[in-house]
Amino acid sequence: MAAWDLSVTVEDLGPDTPPVSLSVTSDLHVGGVILKLVEKTQIKRDWSDHALWWEQKQCWLLRTAWSLEKYGIHADARLHFMPQHKPLKLGLPNGITLRLHACYSSPVFQTVMHICRMLNIRHPEELSLLRPIEEKKKKKDKDSTEEIYDLTEVPLSSASRPCLYNGMPAHFADSPQMEAVYKMLSVTQPPPAPEVIAKQYRPASVVDKAHINGRWLDSSRCLMQQGIQENDRLWLRFKYFTFYDIEPKYDVVRLTQLYEQARWAILLEDIDCTEEEMMLFGALQYHISKVSQSEPQMLSSSAAMDDLESALQSLEVKMEGESSSASEMLENMTAPELNDYLKIFRPKRLTLKGYKQYWFKFQDTSISYFKSKEESIGEPIQQINLKGCEVAPDVNMAAQKFLIRLLIPAPEGMNEVYLRCENEQQYAQWMAGCRLASKGKSLADNSYQSEIQSIHSFLAMQKTNSSSHGNAPANDESINTHSLVSPRYHKKYKAKQLTPRILDAYQNVAQLSLTDAVMRFIQVWQALPDFGLSYIVVRFKGSRKDEVLGIAPNRLIRIDLGVGDVVKTWRYNNMKQWNVNWDIRQMAIEFEGNVNIAFSCVTADCKIVHEFIGGYIFMSTRSREKSDVLNEELFHKLTGGHEAL
Amino acid sequence: MEDIDAMFSDLLGEMDLLTQSLGQETVPPEALPPTNQEVNYSIGFTDLNESLHELEDNDLDALMADLVADLNATEEKLAAEIKGLKTPSPTTSDLPPPPKGLSLHPPSPHPLPASPASSTSSSVSTPASSAASSLPPPPPQNAKPTKEEIEAQMKADKIKLALEKLKEAKVKKLVVKVLMNDGSSKTLMVDERQNVREVLDNLFEKTHCDCNVDWSLCETNPELQLDRTFEDHENLVEPLSAWMRDSENQVLFQERGEKYEVFKNPQNFYLWKKDKRALKDIKDKDKEILIQENFCGTSIIVPDLEGVLHLKEDGKKSWKQRLFQLRASGIYYVPKGKTKSSRDLVCFLQFDNVNVYYGKDFKTKYKAPTDFCFVLKHPQIQKESQYIKYLCCDDARTMNLWVTGIRIAKYGVSLYENYKTAEKKAAVNSVWMNRSTPSSSNPSTPSPTIKAKTPNQANGHAPKPQPTAPDSMDFGNFPPPPSADILPPPPPDPAFPPPPPSLPAKSSSRPVAPQHKLPANFPPPPMAMDNLPPPPLPPPIDDSPEAPPDFLPPPPPAAGFGMDQSLPPPPPDPEFLPPPPPEPVFTGAGAPPPPPPPPPPPPAQAAAVPRAPVRPSGSVRKVPPAPPKRTTPSLQVGGGGGGGDFMSELMVAMQKKRGDH
Repeated sequence: MAAWDLSVTVEDLGPDTPPVSLSVTSDLHVGGVILKLVEKTQIKRDWSDHALWWEQKQCWLLRTAWSLEKYGIHADARLHFMPQHKPLKLGLPNGITLRLHACYSSPVFQTVMHICRMLNIRHPEELSLLRPIEEKKKKKDKDSTEEIYDLTEVPLSSASRPCLYNGMPAHFADSPQMEAVYKMLSVTQPPPAPEVIAKQYRPASVVDKAHINGRWLDSSRCLMQQGIQENDRLWLRFKYFTFYDIEPKYDVVRLTQLYEQARWAILLEDIDCTEEEMMLFGALQYHISKVSQSEPQMLSSSAAMDDLESALQSLEVKMEGESSSASEMLENMTAPELNDYLKIFRPKRLTLKGYKQYWFKFQDTSISYFKSKEESIGEPIQQINLKGCEVAPDVNMAAQKFLIRLLIPAPEGMNEVYLRCENEQQYAQWMAGCRLASKGKSLADNSYQSEIQSIHSFLAMQKTNSSSHGNAPANDESINTHSLVSPRYHKKYKAKQLTPRILDAYQNVAQLSLTDAVMRFIQVWQALPDFGLSYIVVRFKGSRKDEVLGIAPNRLIRIDLGVGDVVKTWRYNNMKQWNVNWDIRQMAIEFEGNVNIAFSCVTADCKIVHEFIGGYIFMSTRSREKSDVLNEELFHKLTGGHEAL
Repeated sequence: MEDIDAMFSDLLGEMDLLTQSLGQETVPPEALPPTNQEVNYSIGFTDLNESLHELEDNDLDALMADLVADLNATEEKLAAEIKGLKTPSPTTSDLPPPPKGLSLHPPSPHPLPASPASSTSSSVSTPASSAASSLPPPPPQNAKPTKEEIEAQMKADKIKLALEKLKEAKVKKLVVKVLMNDGSSKTLMVDERQNVREVLDNLFEKTHCDCNVDWSLCETNPELQLDRTFEDHENLVEPLSAWMRDSENQVLFQERGEKYEVFKNPQNFYLWKKDKRALKDIKDKDKEILIQENFCGTSIIVPDLEGVLHLKEDGKKSWKQRLFQLRASGIYYVPKGKTKSSRDLVCFLQFDNVNVYYGKDFKTKYKAPTDFCFVLKHPQIQKESQYIKYLCCDDARTMNLWVTGIRIAKYGVSLYENYKTAEKKAAVNSVWMNRSTPSSSNPSTPSPTIKAKTPNQANGHAPKPQPTAPDSMDFGNFPPPPSADILPPPPPDPAFPPPPPSLPAKSSSRPVAPQHKLPANFPPPPMAMDNLPPPPLPPPIDDSPEAPPDFLPPPPPAAGFGMDQSLPPPPPDPEFLPPPPPEPVFTGAGAPPPPPPPPPPPPAQAAAVPRAPVRPSGSVRKVPPAPPKRTTPSLQVGGGGGGGDFMSELMVAMQKKRGDH
């Protein structure tokens, strides 16, 4: 057989080195080519990760037993010899960039699995890679100081499941630097400065949001095939909004990143919510950042430690139970009270009388007041039970105004009562008491102290907000409330106007543990009407205008672009089949009851849409088979289309 | 008031007698703690007296029986405590039972008087009980010698006990008159710790209704022309306490299809926009998927409701249209000239402090555009007020959509859990109903009898055909007497804690002899029952008064039964009632070995019947919640074991497992 010259560029020799020329015959297999090549370079190293990339055909020659002829390679082929794993810059949901080795030769689905394994994120099928938004790049130049966490030293383990050490994968326990990376992954980030939020790209319309979805990489092809080069930047994001089997014990990183993605979706108005909901999100963020500072490790202890801990805990409880002596009980029984002079005002009564001072007594869940301290032994002028009442703060630190507004239910309606306190300390105590009482708890409740504290810290927030203009670093006591809400509210409210509103929402979440607060945030996010919708601009068959297709975990919706109304909904469980006509790039879906729809995709390749739908159907199959093994084949079958492997 | 006081003192006298006779019961070691916990004696007397005035005579009788039972329990307690003083048992410290703090009575006046009397007379019997309460093994006479050392501890215990009693004394109870569908009424005592589910279960036992999921307790407010169904997880006492003294509000026991409609036909709520024909044909599998999606995920999904409703403006007479939207976080409306996007929505209200009510006949009352109105208000508001929000829908369907949607948003997953519990209850009931159906006569009777579905047996058990219908409770038996007579065999000495004694007393009323007692002997109620809320057993109390009728009397309400029969789903094992199973099994499994209940049980079991609901209550009533069921169960275990199908075996196994823990 005739020998001919094959030229191969060896990446490791440097970009300027001319291609190496090999004399080969067509029946030489790829492995043989590589062998010759290595011999010729005369470099001794581990070449095991290297493979040949055929530039014109945009494919890897991974089957080393195949001959050149079988691959159809001739003398004009430009081949590159390079490692399959290369560094990639990965933007995480929390906004931090990692540098790590990713596989450029396997389908993106697998690449994501490897990345997730390295980062200790379970259920990698829910995530995927996304090309970043270019606009960001321009701004990126400015803050080139951006910190990049380097994970490229991590060995490419092919181990199926990383062994855990101290609750984190062993490779994170190697050095303090690595531990810092793990901490970054597993601990929520402090609230971003308001300017940072304002600077970020915010989709202004459904169409903008649809454009983002055109950036997902194809899960069935590899990075190289999609033009991703070494050191390029990609985002790792949750793509399918069905989060299966969240278990805080094992999902520290997953939960944290999910929270971060949700938080940014809220802050950047990627998903719409009402003002009240925004305040709740703000309160939860505040609480989460506060708690994560005080108990930084969400769950970094190993299972064994957990057991031990819980055992200790239960022991403690037991001891407590046994040792609660009579005197202790007596102490518990004698309910704490508050007694003080306060001023009261009832706006409802048609009087011009202002605040009147009385001697107040707070006991159990009621407030009573008397003419003076001396008369407090007798019958009170009035006793007000606060159970079920609404409590609102009205505070102005600058003016030293500390008002508690109470809306007290009575058979005839709600009675408004204002209590005016003299100072911060008094206010915090009485306010905390009112808050607890409104929920039917007495001052003896063990959340009383923490309630007082949270009121203090909010007062402190107001102080700093009024002095500096929000540029204060986001440390514990002085979070700028503008960091907690989307830019829309930066314009609408001053930081100190936001404070009481967020505080208001905060009452209901202040007692949550870190994990619970994170979970709550995610739940409230999931309960938003638009949650889980990924938009694509499409053109329905027979229609002359663009419309938006919303892809949700359980259904497809058709949205009229003009009005923004949902025109039609189709649920997957009524779906009989779907097809892609790859030639005209059109998707056709058939539902039960003879409903057929067909559309072509405007803002995204129809492969992306196809993959979304197939992906969600794949996700829904997970619940049935409980096995932990990911059915990769099925995923590709459902999402791959005719290009499937 | 005075009369009542006088009656009480009489009762107390009689109680001594009772206590003496009662003292002994064989009880297995297990369930003790719970039982002890419930001390019934503190009753909201003020409330009681007030409500007493309104009661009819027969109600009063029933109530008295209740109270007596209460007192008995108290009495036992006290006796036990006193005993405890004398003989300190180490265990006592943990448990409430021990000594009663003399100085601390204030809150519960009644107990005091009772205590002295009872203490003297009853002391003998009680000792055992006190010991038993904490420890299983305790022979009646334990540590006498150690007195000195213990004295100090005793004192501490006393104080502690007194404190605990104080706490208990704070437990509020209401006498509640519940109107039945047929216009009759039943009177119950409801403890502040009881939730609506427990009260419903009580009513099931008393009424022989098919226990389908639609049965609800509703509250009506005639002044505002409102009504709503209580949710099963709500405490009943709290909302009732918001009523005014002169309130005409009522509590009804009714079937309300809309209560759980969303779980029966989720498509009508979650796919309401689709055309109705398509919704009708929806497959069960799709319904399941809908429930799964909306109620079983990480987050509860509220139906996506949006539409124009009429709003009665604050304090005005006119109704104005607004575009409203329901979200998990509240109801919002779209201000004029704004878009429907979330950010423009204005919050109309959030659900933390309001309940949703149906409005009746608002067309007349408020000139509403239609009669399909609902109202949102703070539960404490009882009169017209600008703080009440009135909304009016175009049709009934829309109204139900909104009211249900609001309930989902407000109660979240509790709603679904309530439904599952109710469904289980209904399934069990229908099973045994079907079984017993063969003979129409017995159903009403204490089916308790024997597992055998045979009516005859049942009859045999309750040989005394009592003419009285359930509704009319002529409980002739006043407090003390019945118990005394009937008092079963005290012999089974295994001392038992306070609760048991009461049982016997109650049971006494029952003519049924041996069998009933047997149940009583049975072990204590394992705490395991998840379904049952708190151990404290208010329920028993309630039952006691009325319970008797059920057993005895023939089944008057034939109608109810008929319905039952028709009920479709008869699970294989009637015996396994959802809630009861745990206990029963448990008891069955665990009890046998340890305890002494030698003689009576075996036969009893054989004879005993599945009829869990009815029977148990009758026999055991005083005991905490557990008892009723357990009796039956235990029986079942014995009898049913043979026939046990896979499910039942599974249940047993699970129970055992639980028991082990």
